[in-house]
Amino acid sequence: MTLRRWIFAASLLLLLALLAAGWQESRRVQAVALTPTLTSEVEYCLSCHADLPEISPSHPIETFGCVLCHGGERLALDADLAHSTMRGGRNPSEFSVVEASCGGEQCHSGSPELNRDHIQRATTSIQSTYAGAIASIRYTFGAQSDLTPRYGVSAVQDKTVISSKAVPELLAFDSTNESSPWIQKFGENCLDCHLSAQPREGDTYARLSGCAACHTPTAGLDIAPGETQLHRLSTAINYSQCNTCHNRGNYDLRSMTFTERTDQPADRLHDYYQPIAQFVRCEWTLDCIDCHTRSEAMGDGDLYGSKKDIQYTQCRTCHGTPDELPLTYTITSLEDLALRQAFLNPVIDLKVGDTILMTEKGEPLWNIRPLEDGTYELFAKASGQRFIFRPVMSSGCLQNPEEQASSACHQCHAVER
Amino acid sequence: MPEQTMKRRDFLKLATQGLLAAGGLLGLGGLLRFLSFQSEPAPAREINLGASIDYPIGTRKVVAEGQALLIHDEQGLRAISLTCTHLGCLVEEKESGFTCPCHGSMYTRDGAVLRGPATQALLTWQVEQSANGDLLLRRE
Repeated sequence: MTLRRWIFAASLLLLLALLAAGWQESRRVQAVALTPTLTSEVEYCLSCHADLPEISPSHPIETFGCVLCHGGERLALDADLAHSTMRGGRNPSEFSVVEASCGGEQCHSGSPELNRDHIQRATTSIQSTYAGAIASIRYTFGAQSDLTPRYGVSAVQDKTVISSKAVPELLAFDSTNESSPWIQKFGENCLDCHLSAQPREGDTYARLSGCAACHTPTAGLDIAPGETQLHRLSTAINYSQCNTCHNRGNYDLRSMTFTERTDQPADRLHDYYQPIAQFVRCEWTLDCIDCHTRSEAMGDGDLYGSKKDIQYTQCRTCHGTPDELPLTYTITSLEDLALRQAFLNPVIDLKVGDTILMTEKGEPLWNIRPLEDGTYELFAKASGQRFIFRPVMSSGCLQNPEEQASSACHQCHAVER
Repeated sequence: MPEQTMKRRDFLKLATQGLLAAGGLLGLGGLLRFLSFQSEPAPAREINLGASIDYPIGTRKVVAEGQALLIHDEQGLRAISLTCTHLGCLVEEKESGFTCPCHGSMYTRDGAVLRGPATQALLTWQVEQSANGDLLLRRE
């Protein structure tokens, strides 16, 4: 081929290459820039994700942007490249990455004194470690001599053990190292309820994992990729969110499998509890978080082996006993935890000077306050609905003062179905 | 009339020149686009608010561009940043001071912390008067 022909061919190739580059460029999405206050670094995530709703009032996009929590390549306009370094895929609150996504002294891994140790508490909570169930099964099948928790679904440490019932460390449970075939089967079939586990298949189990297992409402939503309503965080957690793990059936220790409940509850009364359980009106009228406190649900930072070590709310916590009214305190400081909780979930207009209930451990029941007529008002945390209830004192309750556990209250107040 | 024909060599020459010209123009267009790219402007460190006489005593005006509140009272001119010192959300002015809508930090009307999680007072901007009488805000 002559030199002229080479030049012609090269010119043709150059033109084609430039046209291809132009065509590729024309297909690229229009860049939408955002420079969050917190990072001061431009990111282009909104070029494709402008339709996502703001995740919560506490995380405005102008302040946080996307990359701070989700990771990813902030300057990329190609989807694969942009998503290649995201933390936790679509869920940055997965416990394996949550420290990088949601941590930080000013965010969710600050000090216990400032009540900013959310990650430490959640990752050591019994809902995360599943240590109680693991210890119980290992004890039952002879792999350990007592019920002391030794293993969790993943290894975890607690540098500051406070409770005498708590342990400083859990090793990672690996059922393949167990000699008992029952414990092996337990590992295969029964570890899908802890907070890091992917849920079982089916709408009734539909939830995310990590912090989002509870704080991203999924009830009734399609949790398939692309569901924009999943971009939400909330402290107003409906009972149905708890029910994505709880009240779904039973683990059968004979076959070491999960037996799904087969009834089709048509109303809340029947949806709430398993048939064998005793329950009272509060339990099927209110939501779980209306009674159970933040430390009960998210842990207190210690590693326990039984929910009985952390769960302590009883009927008397709110209703008192025949001899005593429930505990109360008056908010005297703007820094009171109750005000912060009420700010995050403003179902009640709380201010300094207000008197509210508190638990025997001193946790504020910030959504409940006494009224002048001797009754109490409770604002449901998920619905905002106002309830009025009476104390036991002066009610004519004939309960033995020495028997004040909820089970004793249930003797008279349990609902027949 | 004799039929006009182009020699193969001339055609190739012309086509090559045409292709090179088109390629050059396309390449030039790309180069111009590359050179004309403007990155995100950095936040302004100085804002001209216009004539100072437009801000008499009693003024409390939000300067959106700087996310600051200009105050002119008996103590003089000053400007308080409206960026919360906790995580950087924009605070809202209330009767008693400022409140952060994100995490509930509260500040007095002078910007001092009333309630956390913020631990530092709202920042201030310098307010100066230029030689021509304009009011200038300068980030400290």
